[in-house]
Amino acid sequence: MERTIQTVAVLGASGTVGSLTGGLLAQNGLRVYFLSRTREGSQKGLEKAIAQARSEVIADNIICGDYDSMLSEAVPKADWILECVAEDLSVKQAMYERLEPLRRPGTIVSSVTSSLVLEDLPKGRSEDFQKHFLSTHFYNPPGKMSACEICGQSKTDPALVEFMADFLHRRLRRAVIPVRPTAGFAGNRIAFLLFARITELAAEYGVEMMDYLIGPYTGRVMAPLATIDLVGLDIHKAIIQSLQTHTCDALHSKLVLPDYLEKMIGQGHLGRKTRDKGGFYKRLESGQYEYIDPKSLTYIPAFQPHVRFVEEAKQLIHIGRYRDAFEHIREAKGTEAGLVQEILATYIAYSYMLVGEVTEQKYGIEGIDRVMMTGFNWASPSLLVYMLGGKEKTAELLASKGLPVPASLLEDTVWERYPFNAGRYFPAK
Amino acid sequence: MSRENVYLLGGYQTDFARNWARENKHISAMMREAYEGSLAVTRIEPRDIQAAFIGNFAAELYCMQGHLGAFFVDFDPAFRGLPTCRFEGACASSALAALSAMAHIQAGLYDCIAVVGVEQMKTVSPAKGGDYLGTAAWYERESAGIEFPFPKLFGKLGDVYEARYGLDNRHLARIAAINYANAKLNPNAQTRDWFMDYNHACRTGQYNTAIVGRIKVTDCSQVTDGAVCIYLASERFAAEYARRLGQTPAALPRILGWGHTTAPMEFVTKVAESEGQPYVLPWTRKAITDAYRRAGLKDCWDLDAIETHDCFTTSEYMAIDHFGLTEPGQSWKAIEEGVIEMGGRLPINPSGGLIGCGHPVGATGARQLLDAYKQVTETAGDYQVPGARRVATLNIGGSATTNVVFIVGR
Repeated sequence: MERTIQTVAVLGASGTVGSLTGGLLAQNGLRVYFLSRTREGSQKGLEKAIAQARSEVIADNIICGDYDSMLSEAVPKADWILECVAEDLSVKQAMYERLEPLRRPGTIVSSVTSSLVLEDLPKGRSEDFQKHFLSTHFYNPPGKMSACEICGQSKTDPALVEFMADFLHRRLRRAVIPVRPTAGFAGNRIAFLLFARITELAAEYGVEMMDYLIGPYTGRVMAPLATIDLVGLDIHKAIIQSLQTHTCDALHSKLVLPDYLEKMIGQGHLGRKTRDKGGFYKRLESGQYEYIDPKSLTYIPAFQPHVRFVEEAKQLIHIGRYRDAFEHIREAKGTEAGLVQEILATYIAYSYMLVGEVTEQKYGIEGIDRVMMTGFNWASPSLLVYMLGGKEKTAELLASKGLPVPASLLEDTVWERYPFNAGRYFPAK
Repeated sequence: MSRENVYLLGGYQTDFARNWARENKHISAMMREAYEGSLAVTRIEPRDIQAAFIGNFAAELYCMQGHLGAFFVDFDPAFRGLPTCRFEGACASSALAALSAMAHIQAGLYDCIAVVGVEQMKTVSPAKGGDYLGTAAWYERESAGIEFPFPKLFGKLGDVYEARYGLDNRHLARIAAINYANAKLNPNAQTRDWFMDYNHACRTGQYNTAIVGRIKVTDCSQVTDGAVCIYLASERFAAEYARRLGQTPAALPRILGWGHTTAPMEFVTKVAESEGQPYVLPWTRKAITDAYRRAGLKDCWDLDAIETHDCFTTSEYMAIDHFGLTEPGQSWKAIEEGVIEMGGRLPINPSGGLIGCGHPVGATGARQLLDAYKQVTETAGDYQVPGARRVATLNIGGSATTNVVFIVGR
């Protein structure tokens, strides 16, 4: 019988990921159960989903309830159970245990996890459960970020992974990236290594300066430390620790959690979720920002850095001369230029290094390109190779920064394609 | 009088979902992206381009920048000294640029002209933008002191239909839903990732507020930034270009017919003058029938698709009977029978139109021509109308004051 998905049970629908992903499903005409510990929590999730869709109409497709009273109704009806509960192995496993007697054989169960070891999640569950278990890692918010990494574990039916990839693409309009079952998959593995290195550099050069240097003009919609504030410093730490534990590669030493960052977390400076205490940034009542001083852990006023090559590059971007801007960055001299070049080079080197490890070799750089563009709103690694003048010049840059020059970069031809719509990744800011 | 064929060689559209002010980009960056993208798509070379005609409505207001043609000269060293010109006709600005390019080619002045349509609109608040748009009407009489003059004017168009023939707002909601659904298939459409369906379009509420009268948010095209660069060429250039691509000139689309009329500026005058006539906007109807005649078409059923100017659902409702899909006043029949949907007998706005794809005012006419090109060359991707050979475009400026129609085909 041909498999179809019409009804979905979303577990953890009170949270941001669960509610917004569940809302996306409802927007696309699926009947969705929003389940969480309390009905009120699920109802709040529904409100978030409505705000994302900017339409009350989607509520017609959503049924809210709590686990105790509605799990037994929803799970047997579900064709797909999307688990978005807390990123904790024991919590997830306890939930799977509750699902086991309720789900119909063949019902798909997917987790939104990317940092836990996928193989461990369905341990102890039936053969049918494991055969139909996979990770569907939606990026947040799904209304703006279309990336979805997809991955089975060793016992997952490969045909199921193919079916879900097709469903996510066609029905939910996701940019589907098949990944290998490694910690952080592709996107978080790459992005958080860079975040880690930038937090390390911030200890020496300051928060405001690092976000100025690695600002949007370098190929991202949001500066990196501001992004960590958005993610939450506690989540950042959990992801870095997971990557430290479960990955090993030539750039592993860059996966650091500086002391000051640990102290910030200890003192409750977690980012936007602790608005009063702040994170790397603290928003004042006036609307202005202060930045934390990593040395004293106090907030200091903005000093608005002004570095000539950065301003010149932004001016070129302002008038649409993107490649000229990156030639300017590549050729710039001085400490600040060195930092920008190092981060760009690390991003490119690490991304190409991981071809074959986080994504299948056959996809070349394209899978990683796609997740960085649609999951983070960053210019893709191959786009930066184009902007920096091609792979030979890029390889020279990597070597000059003491970074490995991956064979996959030297063999790459993707960067040669004309980068339509590339300008969107380079705000002149 | 027989005139030389004018060929349409394709081009490039920027992603209409972008906000260029938020990217801190100058309007010339948008033109540059459209131009550079067009070279990559068409394989036309800078040395081929003999003139650049720019369609733009109001960069002086939105961006404090005039004289847009001069920016084109910066895009390549080969363009120093290039003849350039800017055209303005409200929302029909780039259709006028294309008409003029066509005339220059037929006069034998140039063989290949770049036509760029561009508008950056997200630089100001909606209220200020609405006021600027009011200058496309008779500002003193129809716009001054009115918050959103154009929704009001096109709401009145619906009122005229209601008075003369009857109008059910659910048909307008269906028009909106079709355009949004089509836009989901278009990777450059402004609303491709937005949620909207018929039920939402029927409701009024927090997320679909009433603007004025029968016009709700979902009845309106949205404020859009965008640029398009297309190429028009002579028979001589087209022959050489076709050789370059390993094709025959017969494989290249050309402008089969065109119509161009101007109605009185004030909407009440237009409507008063059409009293007792079958068509609410007779000058729009004339532009369409002129284009049919010049293209040698019997009627709309000789077309495979239409890209029309749905700045509001009421303007598409008007276009349905004015193109002749139904008798005057019976546009609802084509909507109910699914004629205008993808897969219908004559799909309207496969691209999503202005409501779904977006409406960067001065770029819309060029965008419609580019989409017509894509349809007849079967390169429209997911929004391709299978086997399309002839496509019409209707670009209107003001309250259907300037009307420009093209028929594109092979």
